[in-house]
Amino acid sequence: MKVLMVCSGGMSSTIVVKAISEEAKKQDFPLEIEAIGTTQIMEEMENVNYDLLIVAPQVKHRLDYFKEVAAKHDVPVELIPPMGYTPIGAPKVLNELIKKHEK
Amino acid sequence: MEKFMKWIEEKLMPPMATLAEQRHLRAIRDGIISTLSLIIVGSFFLVIVNLPIKSWEAFIEPRLGDIVLPFRITVGLMALYASYGMGYSLAKSYDLDGISGGVLSMAAFLMTNIPLNVVDKATNTELGWIIPMEYLGGAGMFTAILTMILAVEILRFCKTKNITIRMPEQVPASVARSFEALIPASVIIIIIWAIRVMLGFDINNALMKLFSPLVKIAGNTYIGILIPTLLITLLWAAGVHGVSVIGSLLRPIWLVLLEENMQIVANGGVAPNIGTEGFYDLFMWIGGSGGTLALCVLFLLSKSAYLKQVGKFSLVPGLFNINEPIIFGAPIILNPILAIPFIVGPAITATTTYIAMKLNLVSKVSVMAPWTLPSPIKAVIATNDWRAAVLAILNFLILLAVYYPFFKAYEKKLLEEEQQKEVA
Repeated sequence: MKVLMVCSGGMSSTIVVKAISEEAKKQDFPLEIEAIGTTQIMEEMENVNYDLLIVAPQVKHRLDYFKEVAAKHDVPVELIPPMGYTPIGAPKVLNELIKKHEK
Repeated sequence: MEKFMKWIEEKLMPPMATLAEQRHLRAIRDGIISTLSLIIVGSFFLVIVNLPIKSWEAFIEPRLGDIVLPFRITVGLMALYASYGMGYSLAKSYDLDGISGGVLSMAAFLMTNIPLNVVDKATNTELGWIIPMEYLGGAGMFTAILTMILAVEILRFCKTKNITIRMPEQVPASVARSFEALIPASVIIIIIWAIRVMLGFDINNALMKLFSPLVKIAGNTYIGILIPTLLITLLWAAGVHGVSVIGSLLRPIWLVLLEENMQIVANGGVAPNIGTEGFYDLFMWIGGSGGTLALCVLFLLSKSAYLKQVGKFSLVPGLFNINEPIIFGAPIILNPILAIPFIVGPAITATTTYIAMKLNLVSKVSVMAPWTLPSPIKAVIATNDWRAAVLAILNFLILLAVYYPFFKAYEKKLLEEEQQKEVA
């Protein structure tokens, strides 16, 4: 499963993405996950095919914009709950991703 | 307090967020962000020139012009780079060709400046046509924004109304595209040419005059510094990236103020503006918005197992001013106890910093340092003044004191919950 996470500058999402991919390794779930800032998202989605776009909670005010961009590539969008956006919230987010994947 | 948090989330946040997400403001923000790396690199040449070492100063003196050159080409042309970046972003947001948008925007911006045919008096040689740089840096930023919007909107108008030169299908796409831009390009150039040359209206000068009261308030008044500080922490307390929202609106002004400081320092003067780009990162956001590094330290020393854990994973990102882990981990957002010091703390350090700069106890920001540098180091680089590190440490101690009682209250609540869990 190929997932893109977007935050404001692509800094904090890197921390969360690292925790999620470590958790995925532990659980043997095949996950490719990348972190990116708002300004690069349009290009990134044009160049790479993702299965899912997940949005950091602090940029929820930009959700409409992300949906607009993702819709062009038929990629579904999910907002991460606030408590999921930390290293210790990673297992919860991963569980959600696995559920999505199984659907 | 709970009511107040609700008010922020339901009343204050939505209109601000909508405004910041407005298409043109978004393009301005993204376009300006694309120039920041150039500004950081360029401003480091100012650091080299201004190292406070006597022998170095003597060594630099005859080479000053050469060494400052990268600064002039980056920071000195800031609005030119931004005009391309903003035009590109806005065109992209309309699903138009980004490069056409960027190039047209840049052409429109350059049209507002009149080249001069210059003769070097000393050698009596002709230097040819030269564009004055006066309005290509910060002073031209508002013009760059306006001409960018005009250019891209004309491009879009021509596209949606199908006013374009169409090529037969056999013509390669890239060639066809260059023809498509012909009509919008001529409309844009003629409009600005007519205003600037035929009517002789100096757009740059007029816009600078129009915006100067706003720039003055943002740069040199207490209220102009306190309001953005409060709005940013209020938005964060409601869970939204405050700097990204407020920065969309104010970053152009902060950059204009910083560029003015830089130019004055590059010419050997003393920087006058307080509320510049960098001012907030340096002295208020120690450890990230809300000055949360102090809270990371308190958490590390906590008796609560949960808070200790949050402190552990927040400290290192916090040193580099990334604080989403603690904001969402603690959590601070929508947490009536921790939101109070999160809002009050930076308001106090904004006050101490404003006073220190107003009284010339600490130099103003004249270098753009990467915002991820740890605070006291960043403060010294950005102001070229060791006293800035003292102020940063003092502010950190203030934040520590402001967070402490609220941390204690929150810890007590969590400890009770943790004990109940153990019993159960």
